[in-house]
Amino acid sequence: MEAKTNMQHLFDKLGDLKSFFVYGQKLVPIFQKIIDFMHETVPLLENVNQSIQESTSKIPKAAHQLDNVSSATEVATTEILDVVDGVSNDLQAIQARLKSLESKLTAKEESIAKLVARYPNDPDVGNIFKTGANSAALDDDVNSMIQMVDKIQEGMMNITLSLQVQDITAQQLLSVNHMITSIQSRLSSLLVDLGGKETKELPGQEFELSNNTAFNPDARYDRNHNHQVLADTLAAENSIKTSQKEIDKLFANK
Amino acid sequence: MALKFLIVDDSVTMRRIVINSLKTIGHESFVEAADGREAMQKLTVDESINFVITDWNMPEVSGLELVKAVRSNPKLESIPILMVTTRGMKEDIVEALQAKVNNYIVKPFTPQILREKIEAIVITAA
Repeated sequence: MEAKTNMQHLFDKLGDLKSFFVYGQKLVPIFQKIIDFMHETVPLLENVNQSIQESTSKIPKAAHQLDNVSSATEVATTEILDVVDGVSNDLQAIQARLKSLESKLTAKEESIAKLVARYPNDPDVGNIFKTGANSAALDDDVNSMIQMVDKIQEGMMNITLSLQVQDITAQQLLSVNHMITSIQSRLSSLLVDLGGKETKELPGQEFELSNNTAFNPDARYDRNHNHQVLADTLAAENSIKTSQKEIDKLFANK
Repeated sequence: MALKFLIVDDSVTMRRIVINSLKTIGHESFVEAADGREAMQKLTVDESINFVITDWNMPEVSGLELVKAVRSNPKLESIPILMVTTRGMKEDIVEALQAKVNNYIVKPFTPQILREKIEAIVITAA
């Protein structure tokens, strides 16, 4: 009785095995297709691998170039600031001389007025002095020159202020450099995962972004001052809150 | 009272621009530092500095860290600090104000804005 049960169990298992083989036969073409597909993808993967390798090796050069742009603009900005400072100093000197000339002319006019006052009965004396000095025209000239110098000074200051763009663009370039060096790092590890060799920069093209560099990725050259309006509003709100806290603290102590 | 400014910025260009702007509005006394660490050293050594103008994004010690360091130092805590930075997002401004900067300027600035903020701080402090 027990032998019959064991045999039945064996036949059941053989039946399962047969089903498995039948199912396996159906799977064979599918596996074959997968293997064929994998064979076909090998050249494609090699292409991807090579592309990544090429792209990755170019990144340090791009990063260097961006860094060079930043350094060059800083040097150029310093040179412009040197020139602007020189011109501003000259303008200040001219302004000082013009003001001195203006006060000398005023003193001269006062002297003429005194001289004219000494000869009240002789109108010709006054006319001779006034015509000879022609101080009114000179006064106008000096005044207009002072105004022109003021205008040039204002222009110089505007140039200086516009140079803030250098700091802002330098931060934008640093941000881009940070981004592309991160991409290089990701691509390098992807390359290793794909079985390729880690890319090596060409000699002299190694680029490492210093950990010390600090930048604002959202830096913008916005002359509308919209952010300043926001800052002023928040500062005013903060000031009210602080004052209220101080008042509350004062009453709490009493 | 004459103000002696400590200008803190890692950009040489920006330090020159801030100093030139301060000169146009009548100030004459300046000390410079390239980051928060150098600024703290100068503040500790030079007791005549009575106003700080600082950038935010700087290597080593940032402007915000400088503000916190100054505010937690009993000898320096009351010194006025004006932050001049490219960071114009609301959360940045709020963070700086919470760290107790006296006022906040978003670059690019003009000498008029600089004058307004300095005067407002000086009047409040007085």
